[in-house]
Amino acid sequence: MKIKHLVWLRRCSQAFFLLLFVFLVVESRLPQDFYLDYTQLVNGEQEIRLQQPVTVFFQADPLVWLTSLISGHVLIKGFGWALGVLVLTLVFGRVFCGFICPFGALHHLFSFVRPALNGKRLARANSSTGSRRVKYFILFLLLTAAFAGVNFAGIMDPISLFFRSLALAIVPGAGTGLKEMFDFMAHTDIKVLNYLSYTAEVLVSPVFGYGYQAFKTGWLIGTIFLLILFLNRIRPRFWCRTLCPLGALLGLCSRFSILGLSKDIDRCTQCGKCTQSCVGAAQPVPGESWQKSECLMCFNCHNTCPEGAVVFKWRGPRGQTGPDMGRRAILGGLTAGVSLPFLSRLDGQIHKVSDARLIRPPGSLPEKDFLTLCQRCGQCMKACPTNVINPALYEGGLAGFWTPNLIMTQGYCEYTCTLCGSVCPTGAIKNITVREKVETPISIGSAYFDRGRCLPWSGNGPCIVCEEHCPTSPKAIYFFEGMVNGPDNTRVKVKLPQVDLKKCVGCGICENKCVVKGRPAVRVIAAGETRSVRNRILL
Amino acid sequence: MNSEHSMTRRESIKKLLCLWGGLSLGGAVVSSWPVIKSAQAAVDAPKFLVDGVGRTEGYSIKALTRKTFEAAGGMRSFVSKGDVVVIKPNISWARAPHLAATTNPEVLEAVIELCQEAGAKKVRIVDHTIHGAKRCFAVTGAGMAAKNTGADLVHPRSSLMRDMKMGGNRLDVWPVFMPVVEADTLINLPVAKVHGLSGLTLGMKNWIGAVGGRRNALHQDIHQTIVDLAHYFKPDVTLIDATRVMVHNGPSGGSLSDVVVMNRLILSDDPVAADARAARLFDLEPDGVGFIKIGHQQGLGVYDTAISRQLEVAV
Repeated sequence: MKIKHLVWLRRCSQAFFLLLFVFLVVESRLPQDFYLDYTQLVNGEQEIRLQQPVTVFFQADPLVWLTSLISGHVLIKGFGWALGVLVLTLVFGRVFCGFICPFGALHHLFSFVRPALNGKRLARANSSTGSRRVKYFILFLLLTAAFAGVNFAGIMDPISLFFRSLALAIVPGAGTGLKEMFDFMAHTDIKVLNYLSYTAEVLVSPVFGYGYQAFKTGWLIGTIFLLILFLNRIRPRFWCRTLCPLGALLGLCSRFSILGLSKDIDRCTQCGKCTQSCVGAAQPVPGESWQKSECLMCFNCHNTCPEGAVVFKWRGPRGQTGPDMGRRAILGGLTAGVSLPFLSRLDGQIHKVSDARLIRPPGSLPEKDFLTLCQRCGQCMKACPTNVINPALYEGGLAGFWTPNLIMTQGYCEYTCTLCGSVCPTGAIKNITVREKVETPISIGSAYFDRGRCLPWSGNGPCIVCEEHCPTSPKAIYFFEGMVNGPDNTRVKVKLPQVDLKKCVGCGICENKCVVKGRPAVRVIAAGETRSVRNRILL
Repeated sequence: MNSEHSMTRRESIKKLLCLWGGLSLGGAVVSSWPVIKSAQAAVDAPKFLVDGVGRTEGYSIKALTRKTFEAAGGMRSFVSKGDVVVIKPNISWARAPHLAATTNPEVLEAVIELCQEAGAKKVRIVDHTIHGAKRCFAVTGAGMAAKNTGADLVHPRSSLMRDMKMGGNRLDVWPVFMPVVEADTLINLPVAKVHGLSGLTLGMKNWIGAVGGRRNALHQDIHQTIVDLAHYFKPDVTLIDATRVMVHNGPSGGSLSDVVVMNRLILSDDPVAADARAARLFDLEPDGVGFIKIGHQQGLGVYDTAISRQLEVAV
């Protein structure tokens, strides 16, 4: 194969995986036009599952595999893909970064299709600097923190970060904009616009759905994402060179690879084209030592060199074999990695009682185990059909930042839905069945009434919307007829709702449908959740 | 009251037909005339009430549905050739059909087929569900019924809600799910079940699923708001599905122990009479159910006993 073809193969491969990734993000929702056969439903055991393997990129991510292993001591489902990537790296170097990584492909696109820099400035930006050590610092921090029991990897892992940004910020952001436009068009009196809005909304519904989506801290997730993209204007693939912990891990593994860069200093004219085209700042120019652990295996230098002075060869010279990590980066990473988990436990979320509003998805592991596995990737949040699962801001403490948290004023947990557990890439949320969820029953919290707000209890008339929606059978919210003091010295006879804690599963539909908005009259708190022994209420 | 009401409906039908298709104004007005005429004709005709009973073991629900409609003169007396038919089932809860929280999909499928045989141009299944619409379509069997027959499932969404003047006693202006009002023929296809606050969920209450907005506030005067809605959405015919009936823990149910098999269908062009007859399945007199009583008092319809043409069919 000629080198030109190899470069084109790389481009095609990057485009393919980027598109595949975006496709899987889009597909991480209830399948379109998917209907259960009602003649088969008599036992009610058919589960609704996603039709695409949406977690395959997480399974192929060695950082997810490694941190789950050392932190939660579990081998995640499908980790063979990650091992495959490691083997690939051991043989060929960081080909994952150059050929497969969708986040890297996006940076590549931003950096090189219309580069912000050119000529000498581009060559200077592509020269090797000490900032590449930052990613090793981050890697060691994440690995040490995982060892000490809190898995922060997902905050910086490129697959998690990219998924979270697309799923919780970019897609819902664009969807909100479109939806507002459709609503506006549909509510004008211009028939053409009504018709257009109707058609367009149906057309885009496979991607954006029919409703407004909201994610807490979505603005922050989106801003960080755009900022990372912007960094490509300072240095091409800034993220991959400087920040990516997965790149650092693969860099460490690439030292034994058998692909080497052979440089012929006699043929080199110092034209600088190789450096200008180098995406990893790996010093391809003859006369300098090739940084193998930085090389993203894009084969640009080989392809552009007009003299054939830079050539990739099997068993070629290995350049500088060990990655240039810097002792300070390692020590700093270790120190920070040890400190962070312990500091993050000082808020008492694990060993004392956690926040009342930290409501985890059904099937979540106990909080301590949950934090060893959750990647904060947003898969569960994207898949949730009611938009109830949100990235936590403060509810989970520092260690629980961006972990899934149910906000019942925004959605509710559907009684017979178990999608979140089925898409969790690491098993932080167990893959439960509907039968397990309903028959155990798996409770995520419990509801309580705020009688001062409740319409019947406060003498403001009949309501019991909460009782109507309560999904358990028999209902956890029941009512009795009673007299309460009403306005103008009257006595009012109303149906007064109460919660039976034995039956309540904390699904939150009562809170969601309560006519008192914002801070409803019936609210769910985490107390009583099945996963935590300490947090139970009843004997 | 009555004449005021029919004005509102006429206005809304006109407006909606204009809106929806993106047709030219002239064409829309012309095509809306026959609808208005047929709506008025239905009011004047003698009313009927058909009881469909499934007596034999393993009877076909589809055959029962068909027979019930035949007794009332066949689907052709409601659906004209080229009509856009909207069926409003109750598929509010993402519950499997055997739990009887939702309209039986076999009944739904049979009604769609009858409409298609009668020459309907389009059959739309419309419900503003409580649980997520996608899950409701998938789990209740309505989605499969639509797929089997080629009917359209209309996904409820904010762009299809419009503030409409209802002119009811309690509800004045309220957001309405547009496909319901723009139908040439409107078929109400509720399921009979119990309800904590209103006592029963039957045909008239089914219209809560045809509006948007703050629906949870309707409970503060549930009987009057149900009647207001039923005044606004006058269906051409109501078929109450009582093949399996939820008698406890309504309206969501969730357990087989909440369900009693009754094998009954009730068909009427009088919304009050249909509900009144269905109430008797729960051993309740029509007077004992608030919204049926108010509907009767406010001239929406009459009790089942006052209907002259009463028929019973059995399979």
